[in-house]
Amino acid sequence: MSSMRFAITMLSFVGIASIIGTILKQKQPYESYIIKFGQFWFDIFKHLDLFNVYQAVWFLIILVFLISSTSLCVIRNSPSILREYQKFQDQIREKSLRSFKHSYEIKLPVFNKLNLISLLEKNNFKVREKINSSGDLLIVAKKGSFQKLGYIFTHLAIIVISVGGILDGNLKLKTQELLGLKEIQTQDIPLSEIPRKSRLDADNFSYRANVLLSEGEKQDVGVIPSKDGYLIQELPFSVGLKDFNIEHYSSGQPKSYESDLILTSKVTGKIKEKKISVNKPLTFEGVTIYQSDFQDGGTKLNILVTDLQSNDRSQSMNAEVFKSNNLIYMDQSYSFEFEDFRLFNILDIDSSQKKNSQNVGPNFTYKIRNQSGQANEYQTYQMPMQLEGRYFFVSGMRPTPQEDYKFLKIPADGKGSLEGFFILKNLLLDKKIIESAINKVILSSSSTKEVDTDNLMLSTLKLFKTFQQGGYNAIALSIDKNIPGSEQESAANAYIKIILLVANQILLDYQDNNVSTKYFDLEDLPFFTQDALNAYSDSFFYGTPLFLELKEFEHVQASGLQLTKSPGKFWVYLGSIMLVIGIFCMIYIQEVRLWVLKKKNSKNILLTLTTNRHHLTFDKYADDIKNKLNSLSKKG
Amino acid sequence: MMNQVSLYNKIFMGGLFLLASYALIQFHNYMDGYEVAILISSIFVFSWLGFSWTNFKNFFVTIFLLSFLSIFLYKGNLLIVEESFLLKYFLSSQSAIMWMSALYPLSLIIYWVHLFNSQEFSGKLASSLVWIATTLGTAGLLIRWYESYLINIDIGHIPISNLYEVFVLFCIITALIYMYYEERIATKKLGAFILVIINVAVGFLLWYSFAKGAHEIQPLVPALQSYWMKIHVPANFIGYGAFAIAAMVSTAYLVVDKGWLTKYLPEKDILEDMTYRTIAIGFIFFTIATILGAVWAAEAWGGYWSWDPKETWALIVWLNYAAWLHLRLIKGLRGNLLAWWSIIGLFITAFCFLGVNLFLSGLHSYGEL
Repeated sequence: MSSMRFAITMLSFVGIASIIGTILKQKQPYESYIIKFGQFWFDIFKHLDLFNVYQAVWFLIILVFLISSTSLCVIRNSPSILREYQKFQDQIREKSLRSFKHSYEIKLPVFNKLNLISLLEKNNFKVREKINSSGDLLIVAKKGSFQKLGYIFTHLAIIVISVGGILDGNLKLKTQELLGLKEIQTQDIPLSEIPRKSRLDADNFSYRANVLLSEGEKQDVGVIPSKDGYLIQELPFSVGLKDFNIEHYSSGQPKSYESDLILTSKVTGKIKEKKISVNKPLTFEGVTIYQSDFQDGGTKLNILVTDLQSNDRSQSMNAEVFKSNNLIYMDQSYSFEFEDFRLFNILDIDSSQKKNSQNVGPNFTYKIRNQSGQANEYQTYQMPMQLEGRYFFVSGMRPTPQEDYKFLKIPADGKGSLEGFFILKNLLLDKKIIESAINKVILSSSSTKEVDTDNLMLSTLKLFKTFQQGGYNAIALSIDKNIPGSEQESAANAYIKIILLVANQILLDYQDNNVSTKYFDLEDLPFFTQDALNAYSDSFFYGTPLFLELKEFEHVQASGLQLTKSPGKFWVYLGSIMLVIGIFCMIYIQEVRLWVLKKKNSKNILLTLTTNRHHLTFDKYADDIKNKLNSLSKKG
Repeated sequence: MMNQVSLYNKIFMGGLFLLASYALIQFHNYMDGYEVAILISSIFVFSWLGFSWTNFKNFFVTIFLLSFLSIFLYKGNLLIVEESFLLKYFLSSQSAIMWMSALYPLSLIIYWVHLFNSQEFSGKLASSLVWIATTLGTAGLLIRWYESYLINIDIGHIPISNLYEVFVLFCIITALIYMYYEERIATKKLGAFILVIINVAVGFLLWYSFAKGAHEIQPLVPALQSYWMKIHVPANFIGYGAFAIAAMVSTAYLVVDKGWLTKYLPEKDILEDMTYRTIAIGFIFFTIATILGAVWAAEAWGGYWSWDPKETWALIVWLNYAAWLHLRLIKGLRGNLLAWWSIIGLFITAFCFLGVNLFLSGLHSYGEL
C-alpha cells in the first residue's frame, strides 16, 4: 500500500471522481436531475452518490486510502532520509569513487588541507575528514541536504492538509447518520416542529450553515443543506439583520452587498453590532459570518389586475412576495403566487450595435395557477423600456422554468402609462364605437363610393368580431379556411390595413371627445395603434387574459449569510506552508556529495562529485569545482 | 559583492524606491494594509528581477516611461484619445495591445526563418520583436489600469479581472519566461515553437475583442474586490505560462526524437532539461496560486475549499504535474513519455483556465464568453 504505484492509482481515482463532480452539477434539487436524466439513470446515479461526489462514502474511502498510503510512505522512508541527512559517507572505496561520472584526478604538488577545506566551505559544503586504515586522507563534503527534507515536508504537508480537510468534512455527521442518531429533514416544516434528530447542537465543532434574514428579522439557527433535505444547526448566538444595502456603480451593476448585523451571545449576553460585506467577514464566538447572497425578504406589492380581453374594470390587490393571493374571476378561481421582486435590473438592450447595459427598473415574478393546478410563470417590469425607439411595458411568460420567457410588449401611451392601451382595448370591444368608426372610414374613403356600403359594413364588423376573439391569429385562421390560396396574401394585407385604419379612427374620435386627456400623441398615433393591436393579438398567447400591473411597492430585502466553524483551516494553512517549503527544497536545492581522496604517497588527489538528481547544469558545476581545486595548485 | 552593483542597478532600485514612496505618500488613503505590503514587496521583487536580469531592467524602465507618457497625454480625460495622435494609434491601452497582437505573429514568422537560416540577425530581430510586443502589451495593461480610473474612480481596478485581460497577461508572462530561458540556454531556436502558443492566445484575444466587444472595461463584481486578486491571478498565470512553455519545448523534443529538424534544434538533453525547469517553476507558482486562492475563497465565499469546478480542476492540474515531477525526480524517468505527458498536461491546464469558464458554471465564473 505504500508503493508509489498504489498512490498514483488512488490519485487517478481522485482525479476522475473530481472530474465527474465538475461535469455533473452537484447538490442540485433532486427533481432537476430526474428531469435531466430520467428516473432510471437518476436512481443509478443516486445510489453511486454522484450528485454529491465529494461527500460520498466511496470518495472518502479513497481519500483515506491515499492518506494512509502517503503516511506509510513517510513512515517508511523518513528514518533513512533523516539518517542520510546527518550522515557523511566516509566508507567509500577508491574504486567506487573512480566509477562515478564526475571523477577527476588533479595534480596538486603542494597539498594544503586547510586551504582545500576552506575552499569547499566557501562553496557551501559541510566538510568532514577522515584518515583510513592505510593512512590515506579522505575529505567528505556535502551540501543541499535540505533537498531530502523536502521529501518529508511535502508528504507530511499532504497528510496535514488532508487531516485538516477531514476535520472540516462531514465525517462526524455521516457517522451519526449511519448510527441513526441524526436524520436529514426532507419536509418543509416550521422550525418549531423540526425534531431533535434533525438538529445539530451549538457545540458542533465544524459546520457551514446558511441563514437567511429579512430586514428586521432575528434568528438563532442556521440551515445546512444536505442531499435532498436539510439539517438545522443551533448557533451559540442570535443574529439579527438591521439593514441590508446594495451599492451600485453608476452603470447600475452591483458594487457591494452589506449587512448591518446585531449579534447577541446566548452564553454571555454580549452584544455586537457590525457591518459585514463580501470579502469582509466577521468572527464572533468562534463562528465566522460571511455575506454570501441576498434575495427578496417579502416586498409588499400593490397591484392592479386588468383583463386584456374584456371591458371589465381593473381590480386592485395588495400582495407580498413569497405569499399567494386568490382571485375569483369569471367563475374561475386563480391563485397568484408571488415569487420575487427585483429593484434593479441590468439588461443589455440592443438599441444599436453597441452593447448597452442599463438599469430598466423593478420587476416582479409570479405564477398564475388555475383551478386545475396548472401554472405559468410571469415576470413583469414596472416601467416601460425603450425598444427600437418606442416605449413598451414588458412582461414575460413561460410555462416551465426550463424555457425562456416569451414577451408581451404593450406600448406605453403619451403619458408613459398603460392607460392608453386599456382605453383602446375597451373601445375595440365596444360594438357601437366600432360601427361609428367604420362608418367614418368608409365615408372618408372616396374610392369606395360605388361599393355597397352596407355589405362592407357587415363584413368589416365580422372582421372585427374575429379580431376581438383571437387577434390577428384568428383572422389568419379564418382566411386559411375561407379564401383560396392565391388571394390569401392580398386579403390578409387588406384586412390588416382596415383594422389599422378603423382602430386609428377610434382613437381620433376618442381624442376629439376627450380633449383634456393627453393619452395619445397624434403624431405617433399610427405606431401606437399598430403596437397596441399587436399587443392585443399577442395577449391570446399570454396564457392568461389577466395583466398584473405593479403600482406601488415597499421594498423588503433579505440577506443570505453563511456561518462557518472550521477548525481544520489552521491545519490546512499550516500544511500549505509546509507544502510550498517542501516543493521549493525538492526542486531548487540540489544535493551534492563530494569526496577528495589524497593517497599517502601521491602527488595527485582524486576529486569526485555526485548528485542524486542529474540536471544539465551539474556538468558545469562539477567542472567549476574542479577548476577551483586546480587553481589551488597554482597558488601553492 | 556590494561594490559590484553597477550604477544602473543603483539607479534602478533607487527609482523603484522613490516611485513606491511617491505612491505611498500620494495614495495611502486608498490602500489597505495588505496593499501597502504588496507595494513594498514589489520594490524588492522587481529589484531582484532587475539585478539578476539586465533585459528585464530595460523592459521595466521602458514600460514605466511609456505608461507615464500615456498618463501625461491623457491629462485625466478619457475622451482626449480622439484628439491625440499618439494616444489613438499607439499609447491607449487598446492600441498598445493591438500592436502587441500584431508583433507576436511577426516574431513567430521570423523565428521560423531563424530556425532554418540560423543567422544571428534574424534571431536578434525575432527576440527584439518579442521584447517590443511584450513591452507594449504590459504597458497596455498598465495604461488600461489608469483608464479604468478615468471612467470612474470607483470602477478603477487592476486589469486582471476578466478573460480579455488575463489573456494579455498570459501572453506577456509566457513571453517573459521564454525570454529568460532563451538567454540562459543561449539559443533562439525554440522561439519557433514557444511563439506558437503565444499566438494561439493572441488569436483568441483578437476574436474575443472583435466578436464580443470584450475589451470594454467593466466594473468589478463584489467578490473580486480584494487585494488577493493582485497576487492570486499573476501567480496563477506564471504557472499557466510555464506549463505552456514546457508543452511547446516537449513538442520540440518529440520532433527531434523523430529525427526531424535535428540540424536546427538544440539537443534532446537541453530540451528535456528545459521542460523540467519550466514545469518546476510553473508547479511552484501554481501551488502558491492555488493556496492563495483557497485563502481568498475562505475570506470571500466562507470556505477554503468548496469543490467548485475551478478549484477542482486546479487540483487536477496540480495532481497531474505532481505526478510528472514524481516520475522524473524520484523514479528518474526521462524521455518520450514525459514529453507527451507535458503536452497533455497543457490541455488539462487549458481546460482549467478556459474550459471551466466555457462549459461548467460555478462560483469562479468571472470570465464568461
